[in-house]
Amino acid sequence: MIHLENVSKVYPNGTEALKNISLSIQKGEFVFIVGSSGAGKSTFLKLLIHEETATFGKIQVNGHDLMKIKRRKVPYLRRTMGIVFQDFRLIDKMNVYDNVAFAMRVIGTPEKQIKKRVREVLRLVGLHGKEKRRPNELSGGEQQRVSLARALVNRPETIIADEPTGNIDPERSHEIMKMLADINNSGTTVIIVTHEHDLVEEFGGRIIRIDDGEIAEDKYISTKYHELPVSINTSNLVLDLGDDTTQQAPSADTLGKERNQ
Amino acid sequence: MKLSSTGYLIKEGFKNVWNNRMMSLASVAVLISCLIITGAASLISLNVSSLIAAVGDDNELTVYLKYELSDTDSVKIGPQLKKIDNIEQCRYYSKEEAIKQYKDTLGNVYESMQGDGNPFGNAYKIRLTDLSKYKSTVKQIKQIDGVDSVSDRSEIAGKLTKLNYFVTLVGFWVVLVLGIVTLFIISNTIKITMYSRRFEISIMKSVGATNAFVRVPFVIEAMLIGLLAGLTASGILIALYNPVKDAASGIVNLIANSTIPVEQLWLPILVSMSVIGMIIGILGGLISITKYLRKEGGEILGW
Repeated sequence: MIHLENVSKVYPNGTEALKNISLSIQKGEFVFIVGSSGAGKSTFLKLLIHEETATFGKIQVNGHDLMKIKRRKVPYLRRTMGIVFQDFRLIDKMNVYDNVAFAMRVIGTPEKQIKKRVREVLRLVGLHGKEKRRPNELSGGEQQRVSLARALVNRPETIIADEPTGNIDPERSHEIMKMLADINNSGTTVIIVTHEHDLVEEFGGRIIRIDDGEIAEDKYISTKYHELPVSINTSNLVLDLGDDTTQQAPSADTLGKERNQ
Repeated sequence: MKLSSTGYLIKEGFKNVWNNRMMSLASVAVLISCLIITGAASLISLNVSSLIAAVGDDNELTVYLKYELSDTDSVKIGPQLKKIDNIEQCRYYSKEEAIKQYKDTLGNVYESMQGDGNPFGNAYKIRLTDLSKYKSTVKQIKQIDGVDSVSDRSEIAGKLTKLNYFVTLVGFWVVLVLGIVTLFIISNTIKITMYSRRFEISIMKSVGATNAFVRVPFVIEAMLIGLLAGLTASGILIALYNPVKDAASGIVNLIANSTIPVEQLWLPILVSMSVIGMIIGILGGLISITKYLRKEGGEILGW
């Protein structure tokens, strides 16, 4: 579960990247973070993985209070997440297997378990049989699948994908999004930052638009991949004009109250 | 960091050395030079100390008896000398024995200096148990009737003490300065290695690697560089020890018998150089990696 309350981030140069934002993301949600460049999307993600610290407010991520977290505890926070980068971030000198296994090795998983789990995940992302290939021998879509496998291999609670389809062609983009949707359907929270409006419309779920450091819009789009979450009290929802599948998402407070009920 | 990671991390450390072999080689070469100088300074210091000890051991004093003292009276003084506590050995040194030493130098004159023509008086060669009680012992000796004078070694003892202090001081500073230089070199090498692997480190951090996990391969790499340099430097020092000692003995004769033989030194040199190399490596590596990991934010590149 991710919970932000009145969070602001001001960089040392005075830039106010996020202004007093509050939101909650429940376990198992499928969330798109959209917005123009410089709107504050990357800062939002950086706050979630504690790459940056908020200037004001409260942030809770997967059971960790990020305003009080000690430096030595940050790795354990990050182990609850899997990150997918736009530029894949694969290590060229390692083959596919080692790139994925690397994420397990750094947290001290025994080699026997690594072998079993890496094969399982590579099969899941459709890369079975390509274990020995180097990243430069793979297409962009395949490289992103390796990156996805690496993010998944430690069974994270949350997948954070930063423009996961930014460097691949539309067909492969669709494949990657489909995989992320499948991962979400198995119960993992998925947060995707993207510019690709078409994919957002097609895959739906919760859409949070950040504009100039503020949450300009927070809504749900129901699609074949993602239906409206059943836990939401529909009496609180506001229908968006002209689209009967678009509904205003509940505020952090509303969701908080529902959880307590 | 889990125990199951140990093998992986050690392997990574070895791989680092190989992957950055040119840089590692350069560091090893510079480290070898520094360790050789440090080692040479230590060996010189050790040998000077040994020399000082040898000269100190050679604490033979000459007790000159009055010239007019007959041989019989001279021999009677021996037991009185032996009664003094601090006298370890006491040997009669007749005037005939004394003149005999100058036989070659004197040539034809030697014959005329036999019997009554002998300019020397009888004497005793004595050894003291404790050189520091020199003054009080000499005072006791001079109280014996028939004793003329005692050879004065207090000046030599003072000079040796000063030399010992100087050698220790210079040795200390040489070792300290070179230690800092080598530490700087190795920490710089690790800094460069880390910089070249910052991408990998950023991925490690993004998937939840602890600082200890990130640190270990670099520390192992630095330790290996230090060990390799230590082993090579000790090999060179051992190989050069005897030739240098022989050359120095040619100049100062005293060195030949007073230096420490290589058989006694090779193992301590090997062990100490390797351990010093490893310690410098570990410290240098830790300095760099700790400084790098302490940076707040910016751990995950490009974000």
